[in-house]
Amino acid sequence: MVNMDLLEGLSAAETNRVLGLGKVFTLESGGVLFRLGDPADSLYLISRGRIRLTLPMQVRDRSESVMVEEQGSGHTVGWSALTAPYRFTLTATAAFETEVVALGREELNAYFAANPDTARIIALNLAGVIGRRLQLFQAMWVREIQRMVESRCA
Amino acid sequence: MEMLLMGACLSVLGLAVACMAFGAATREADVQTAAPVVEQEMVKPVVAARFFAEAPKVLPLAARSSVPIEALLLQIESHVRLEHAAAECFLEAPNAALLHSRTVSPFVN
Repeated sequence: MVNMDLLEGLSAAETNRVLGLGKVFTLESGGVLFRLGDPADSLYLISRGRIRLTLPMQVRDRSESVMVEEQGSGHTVGWSALTAPYRFTLTATAAFETEVVALGREELNAYFAANPDTARIIALNLAGVIGRRLQLFQAMWVREIQRMVESRCA
Repeated sequence: MEMLLMGACLSVLGLAVACMAFGAATREADVQTAAPVVEQEMVKPVVAARFFAEAPKVLPLAARSSVPIEALLLQIESHVRLEHAAAECFLEAPNAALLHSRTVSPFVN
């Protein structure tokens, strides 16, 4: 099993116990993991493959799914399952055959209640995952604003 | 005498041809000078109406061309990947130059 960003800092035994809470399944190429607006009951650790995260965009009067981010093995997608209002804010599909571990919110919360040390480590890792995403998109957003300013002032 | 008459006839004919040519040239010049006036009268209000009526539409370079939508989507995807990579470079070593570094994306070139 590859190193998972969400489980960094846990012992091997503890990592296996957390992974044991989940369900492993495989998506075919193009298979949908979750859709924008769906209830988010599970988060997903990618053990093999690649997940494309897309948002709808109007392109020449057609609504198209435009890729905004990709995540590969070892990374976490669907962390909306752990943050209110528990709705997915993107659509996730497999770029090719991809294996994920689905961790249900209820199972995780029950485990966290019984294992606060593990909960603290995972919560910090989750904060890192979310913070990284925030910083990346903040930088991308500022780059776009800069270009908009340059085109308006040209 | 005959030679003299022939010379006179040719001179008259030459003069007539010269007059016709001059007349034709003068008419063309009139038409040419008149045409822009008509054109200006027709064009000017249209240009003025566009300028004041509509805000200029700024379309992305790729959207203006007639590339197939699949190619356009691939360009968007490539742009997102490049922007993502540029943002990651910035996060590795945050500074203003890296934040606004240029990529080879067709959307910004």
